[in-house]
Amino acid sequence: MSDALTRPAPPVSELVMRGLFDENPVFRLALSLCPAVAVTTSVKNGLMLGVAVFVVQVLSSVSASLLRRVIIPKIRVPLFVIIIAMWVSVMDMVLAAFYPVVYAQVGLYVKLIVAFAIIISRMELFSMKHAVLPSFWDGFGMGLGFLLAMLLTGAFRELLGSGSIFGYALVEFRPLLLVILPAGGFFTIGLIMALFNWVDLRRGHKLPGEYKGCHG
Amino acid sequence: MLRIAFGLTVVCLVASLILGGIYAWTEPAKLRNVAEREQRLIGELLELSPTARVEEVRRYLVWRGNRLEALYLTAGALLRFDGSGALLERTELPAALAGSASADERDAWVQQQARLAADDTFRQVGRFFAGYEGARSAGYVIEGKSAGYKTWIRFFLAIDADYGLRGIEIIEHEEDPGLGAEITEPYFKHQFAGRSFDAIRTIEVTKDPLPAAWRAALEEFADLGLGGWLARHADQLAAHPEIHAITGATISSVAVTDGVKRALRNFRKRMQLVEAHL
Repeated sequence: MSDALTRPAPPVSELVMRGLFDENPVFRLALSLCPAVAVTTSVKNGLMLGVAVFVVQVLSSVSASLLRRVIIPKIRVPLFVIIIAMWVSVMDMVLAAFYPVVYAQVGLYVKLIVAFAIIISRMELFSMKHAVLPSFWDGFGMGLGFLLAMLLTGAFRELLGSGSIFGYALVEFRPLLLVILPAGGFFTIGLIMALFNWVDLRRGHKLPGEYKGCHG
Repeated sequence: MLRIAFGLTVVCLVASLILGGIYAWTEPAKLRNVAEREQRLIGELLELSPTARVEEVRRYLVWRGNRLEALYLTAGALLRFDGSGALLERTELPAALAGSASADERDAWVQQQARLAADDTFRQVGRFFAGYEGARSAGYVIEGKSAGYKTWIRFFLAIDADYGLRGIEIIEHEEDPGLGAEITEPYFKHQFAGRSFDAIRTIEVTKDPLPAAWRAALEEFADLGLGGWLARHADQLAAHPEIHAITGATISSVAVTDGVKRALRNFRKRMQLVEAHL
């Protein structure tokens, strides 16, 4: 079975690695930067948002893949928004009712997710063209990649901005207050992005211009 | 065209059915959680013993034309006051409502008792809780709200017999994590505790950084309780007559401070009118 709606999928390991590194939502695709910058002032905040996005990403990717044969292409974007908003609301209500302790921690983050570009882009680019199981792993990898990005950014900003990690003070002063402010969030993401690119080049990948053979 | 409209309608219908189902399934549990958390917070704020009793008092306003009446529903009776605080009528609460009736059932009964004419308006406008250790009053917990950065910040204030502030707890807010959401942190919220009515009435917000020693004292509050904390840190409290705003969240800090001042002032004003009858 290999039509336009069910293309052959890459192996699971590649799907997960893609999300974590090669197409990391924040550091490679530069998606969902605004909420990411607003929230990652500490590792704990980053972790909470990361987990919430991970869950909604997996559920939304699977839903879009299940429905890919009945979704009318012209109205797929409003449908994606409805699917995401539905899962976000379901998560919000279920957590509030049955896990009040967890909800007290993550309630603020869950409501932010409806507007996340990365979720809708994975539904459009992957789930609409692949079977349910690969879509699950794609959502899994991308969600995990976002979680990793939130942890890295949060750790960097909390360490330099507040001198602590997970709320435990390591030093008694704030080494670099700038990184905790929104502008500093963009600087942080830019720096980690540069690191990702540097690693990528070291692994033998070429710059975009070189792919197209501009030099030859 | 028709197919698109039909497709969208079907998806919206299905999504709303799912959401409606989940809401009906989760809402009772959510309300129970909220009520349990409020009861727990009231006990903590007033430092009540396990045998203490908490009574809810609900407040209603009725406009009869341009004449204003205030109604107070206590655990045992409904009291009707005119605008100047004179008692007009006292109705005992029927036994069926005294026990486990929900807030909605009580509100409906009060509305029925208010005997409204066609163009009168009736509104439930607030509530507070009175704690009792045996027959002795253990103070009040009032509910207040204030416009935060995005939406309402709801909070509880614990108040002693002289209208001094014993403590504050943030119930609900949607401030930004890492910025305004810090209003729930001990180093911010406990700055209000242990201050007299007059101290709160005139309190100001400062953007000066929070001194390290004062911060350390505030973070001991939860372990010591108000009495123990005042015994150890009364000099620190006196040395810091202002509320230190959270770095990067002045709007949220001012919103909480103004809300506390307003809630406390209004509560004293109302209670001085009706206290003798409650």
